[in-house]
Amino acid sequence: MSNEFDPKILAFLCNWCSYAGADLAGVSRMQYPPNIRVVRFMCTGRIDPLFIIRALTRGVDGVLIGGCHPGECHYGKGNLYTRRRVLMTKRLLECLGIEPERLRLEWVAASEGPKFAQVVKDFTEETKSLGPNPLTTLRREEAVI
Amino acid sequence: MENSLYLAWSSESEIQKTASSGGAVTTLLKFALENKLVDAVLAVKKRDNSRFDAVPVLITDPELIRETAGTLHFAPLNMAKFVKDYLDGARDTRIAVTCKPCDARAFIELAKRNQVYRENLFLAGLNCSGTFQPAVADQMIREVYGENPQELAMEEIEGGKLIITLKDGTTKEKDLAELAGQGFEMRENCLRCSCKIPRMADIACGRWGNNGQAATFIEICSPKGHEFVDAAARDGVLVTEAATGKQIEERRQKETEAVEHALAREKRDLDGLHDLSHEERLKYWVGHLNRCIKCFGCRDACPICFCKECYLEPYRDCIAGGETPPNIMFQLVRLSHVADSCVNCGQCQDACPMEIPLTRLYNSLNRELADLFHYIPGVDVDAPPPLTTATDQELSIDAPYIIEEQSSAR
Ligand code: SF4
Ligand code: SF4
Ligand code: SF4
Ligand code: FES
Repeated sequence: MSNEFDPKILAFLCNWCSYAGADLAGVSRMQYPPNIRVVRFMCTGRIDPLFIIRALTRGVDGVLIGGCHPGECHYGKGNLYTRRRVLMTKRLLECLGIEPERLRLEWVAASEGPKFAQVVKDFTEETKSLGPNPLTTLRREEAVI
Repeated sequence: MENSLYLAWSSESEIQKTASSGGAVTTLLKFALENKLVDAVLAVKKRDNSRFDAVPVLITDPELIRETAGTLHFAPLNMAKFVKDYLDGARDTRIAVTCKPCDARAFIELAKRNQVYRENLFLAGLNCSGTFQPAVADQMIREVYGENPQELAMEEIEGGKLIITLKDGTTKEKDLAELAGQGFEMRENCLRCSCKIPRMADIACGRWGNNGQAATFIEICSPKGHEFVDAAARDGVLVTEAATGKQIEERRQKETEAVEHALAREKRDLDGLHDLSHEERLKYWVGHLNRCIKCFGCRDACPICFCKECYLEPYRDCIAGGETPPNIMFQLVRLSHVADSCVNCGQCQDACPMEIPLTRLYNSLNRELADLFHYIPGVDVDAPPPLTTATDQELSIDAPYIIEEQSSAR
């Protein structure tokens, strides 16, 4: 049954570390599930929580954010702000009734190609086990109060 | 610095008579205006003499202060919004404002975001036991108290009772619990509000601890608070007396009781939601949010929302124009924008014509974040907003979901 559902995952990667890490995974011909679509940001600090929420309300099944390890953000503290915002956004999803596991933050350095492949694999598995994004399945008229 | 605690009352018999609790606040505001400690006073006044309809008034004539004396429990406004929107954030006017705790908290949050000039504001905080929506109160006075609402002269909330005084001097009291049983409750945000004494303001004034005397218990919370009260006391218009241990204890007890009550209510309201499965909770919220007619009332009433270029406007390409109910994104934009600043004032919910329990949603997230960041919006005067902060210490923490090492956690 799990192979019937193929999750759509949106990945927001920072240009300097995680995108380079993804690149390295690619050039090194590492295998990882083809479920992710990547949006490149100069820094994870540019990721407004609204981007995450919007992606989910528009039907993606999971959002993966990849940035530099703390202390290595090329703009200083962009990733630290992101960490706080992701913490907030996870709680926001929880309060609304969407599994917070649909949002994941990982640090992937430019040299961590294998880690990138592993993260994508894990997250795809996890999203698969969560099933389709409930916002896409919950039809308006089904909602009762 | 320890806050100083006083009992205070007006030395003018005129004010003693019209204002409540000895008229200390009215006197202080009048004194501040007369002696140019401020340029104006922003306070609340009845419109057309109705206790169910309040308007903010900006006063520059000291003689007019008296018209604003007394508390209105059936017409809650949020003062911060007026200062931010219509008084240029007090950029070049020194304004004294009367504030409930939620007003004061909104001022603090706005100041942190450079939307009001805190240094030009004197926040005269008033303790608050909660407020009712005007329509609810009106119906309650008619149906439960059996009185004509227009005959109401005063109302007070004391010891779990709502006591009303009519123009002919008769008083009637009912238990709040009993009123609730008949469907007449305070605004739900008030029932959950555990900030009863506004210590984030310059002074916090109230009846608790006054021993039933015609006096106001004042807690001085800032140097500016000291400056104002000391000046009025030196002048002689305000009589002050250090609070006794017994009075302080009485006030502390009343506060503790009220806070415990509010926390229990918060727990009851929010745990109920929290215990639902994700699926049930989502259905609950989508069901409510799908009633939205996109009137923008919640946004416009919120003292905290301050963007000039709002994401909810169709030209921002986030929420489609001309579509109701809007995508639930509409409310989530607001929720994420006020996540670390919502002060639980309830203005959004009061404004909502569809009676969507918005504060319940904001309050749920608020409570979660308080846990996470150890930050309560508007209460911690000096702490920076948690979502626009990053400390050097965090540079050396690698875990993606931790901002504090366990050892340094509370
Ligand atoms: S939210 Fe709190 S401070 Fe504001 S009116 Fe209600 S009880 Fe008073
Ligand atoms: S979101 Fe509602 S409760 Fe929170 S500050 Fe704004 S108006 Fe007040
Ligand atoms: S006030 Fe209520 S109906 Fe109006 S936009 Fe806000 S949620 Fe929708
Ligand atoms: S540059 Fe990679 S997170 Fe800021």
